[in-house]
Amino acid sequence: MRSFINPFLAVILAGLLAACSSTPTEEDTSSTDTMGQNTQTTPTTPVERPKPSKPETSSIPLTAENFHNHPSNYDGTTDTRVIYFAFDSNTVPAAAFETLRAHAKYLKENPNAKLRLEGHADERGTREYNVALSERRSEAVQKFLRVQGVSSSQIETVAYGEEKPAAFGHTEMDWAKNRRVVLNYTAGRP
Amino acid sequence: MMRIINVRSVARAAAVMALTMLALGARAELMIQITEGRVDAVPIAVVPFAGAADAPENISDIVRADLHRSGQFKTLEPGDMLSRPTSADQLSFRDFRVLNQEYVVVGSMQKTDSGAYEVRYGLYDVAREKQLITESYRPPASQLRDVAHAISDRIYEELTGIQGAFSTKILYVTFNRGAENPYQLQYADADGARVRTIVRSREPVMSPSWSPDGSKIAYVSFEKDGLPKIYVHDLASAQRRVVAQYKGINGAPAWSPDGQRLAVTLSKGGNPDIYSLDLNSGALEQLTDHYGIDTEPRWMPDGEHLVFTSSRSGGPQIYELDVNSKSTRRVSFEGAYNARPDVTPDGRYLVYVHRRNGSFNVGVQDLQRGTFDIVTKTDMDESPSVAPNGSMIIYGTQYRGTGVLQAVSIDGRVKVELPSKEGEVREPAWSPFL
Repeated sequence: MRSFINPFLAVILAGLLAACSSTPTEEDTSSTDTMGQNTQTTPTTPVERPKPSKPETSSIPLTAENFHNHPSNYDGTTDTRVIYFAFDSNTVPAAAFETLRAHAKYLKENPNAKLRLEGHADERGTREYNVALSERRSEAVQKFLRVQGVSSSQIETVAYGEEKPAAFGHTEMDWAKNRRVVLNYTAGRP
Repeated sequence: MMRIINVRSVARAAAVMALTMLALGARAELMIQITEGRVDAVPIAVVPFAGAADAPENISDIVRADLHRSGQFKTLEPGDMLSRPTSADQLSFRDFRVLNQEYVVVGSMQKTDSGAYEVRYGLYDVAREKQLITESYRPPASQLRDVAHAISDRIYEELTGIQGAFSTKILYVTFNRGAENPYQLQYADADGARVRTIVRSREPVMSPSWSPDGSKIAYVSFEKDGLPKIYVHDLASAQRRVVAQYKGINGAPAWSPDGQRLAVTLSKGGNPDIYSLDLNSGALEQLTDHYGIDTEPRWMPDGEHLVFTSSRSGGPQIYELDVNSKSTRRVSFEGAYNARPDVTPDGRYLVYVHRRNGSFNVGVQDLQRGTFDIVTKTDMDESPSVAPNGSMIIYGTQYRGTGVLQAVSIDGRVKVELPSKEGEVREPAWSPFL
């Protein structure tokens, strides 16, 4: 589906999804509710919600293909500081929605906090083009946070392309770890 | 213009020449080896110059290595020579004819009382027993390498009709993981010797570009606050200034042929577009305005057109822009990924990165004939940069998981490796004639 959607439309859709808190598709197993509007994935505990924690993920093998959307990468709190992206994509993964909402909540409650969104690409392709691709990723995260009501004055973006890899190997999994946006608090770190 | 190359050598020469390691000075970080040469490379004997072994730089060794590295010549090892004349009167053409040599270079270098060196040499046509060049130089010891490269240039031009590019420099970025300043911007002679460091940084440095007169460079550095700025840096004085520090991307500087403007990529307007920055006035003119990615501009030699990478049709493709009318037209049509163009000095060929079956290679598009050819066999190629004489393309690629530089001739027939002793080397930019 990715390839047919205008990236901007995709970002808007992602934002709408987030705003409406509808249940994300794909292999997302995490609870998605922060606004009390959607259905629980575990209907037996409608009132006493568990604290956001790492979901049960052992049943889902971690692969380079699902890495960006794998629940084990996102704990739903501001402790998660890295959002991963699929190959050639700047769509915010559904599994990261709850984490980003937690950051949005924190930023709104702490107007002095400032967040730098550092976009990165994997090493494939040319360097300046990758800078541009990585900027689209940091902007996608920025738009998500803005839709949540975060002030633009609290967010800045920077695009590093492939220049600052997190993983230095050359496998699909290394590339999956490098296609990312790092949430770097430059002030008011939670 | 191109000399008709003697076909006698075809049968003798192997397609893949022996790996000849060229040991460089202690400061050098680049080594150079030919991995693939022309089957019709011209045999030439550069006889060790008298006094060369005792001088601080061995001129005859440097000239021999230069000619060998060009891939246009097959050089004779001194150990295989029947005689080693050092002046015209000692030269017996027969000794080189029986070894099927077409040309021979003899010479000498002597220290004078003033400390300078007296360098004399001659180039001779073996079959016609004729002197083609004789020259002398008086360089100080510090300029012996320059004289060696100047001799190589002269010989190369005499025998190929093409201006030699041995006296040029290569600018490149190195990365040493774990070092205090992992990112460094350096330049070296075209043979990898005499490395100079321009910038050391904890944050990325990228996209180096030469001014057309070779006196200045532009590059992107994230050294201040981790944010990208474009710097213009004067090599002689080491003075530099920031010329672009807008919100968002400040990237991909490319000097105009007249040296007055930089084409740059800025995303201050909301997405990456190409702008022309007047270096005298600081005035900025937006050249592209599209919601897709526009980046990696290079000026065509006429100074009125740019080629650049754009995602306006989906994936990255090469487009040409008329700077005056701002009209664009797509240039690349082969495959789904074509990016980071460079152009030959005559404007005839575009070289750029092409993805095919998941592999990134350097391709050459002949704008006259409309043909497109992949000229590399490596993978993960990037940042192709054309020599000022249009003969070779230097580019970054990976070898055993590390970034290295390689060079390939425009026709793909000559391949040269430049392995690094330590760390990654990438983003080579070949200087103009200096």
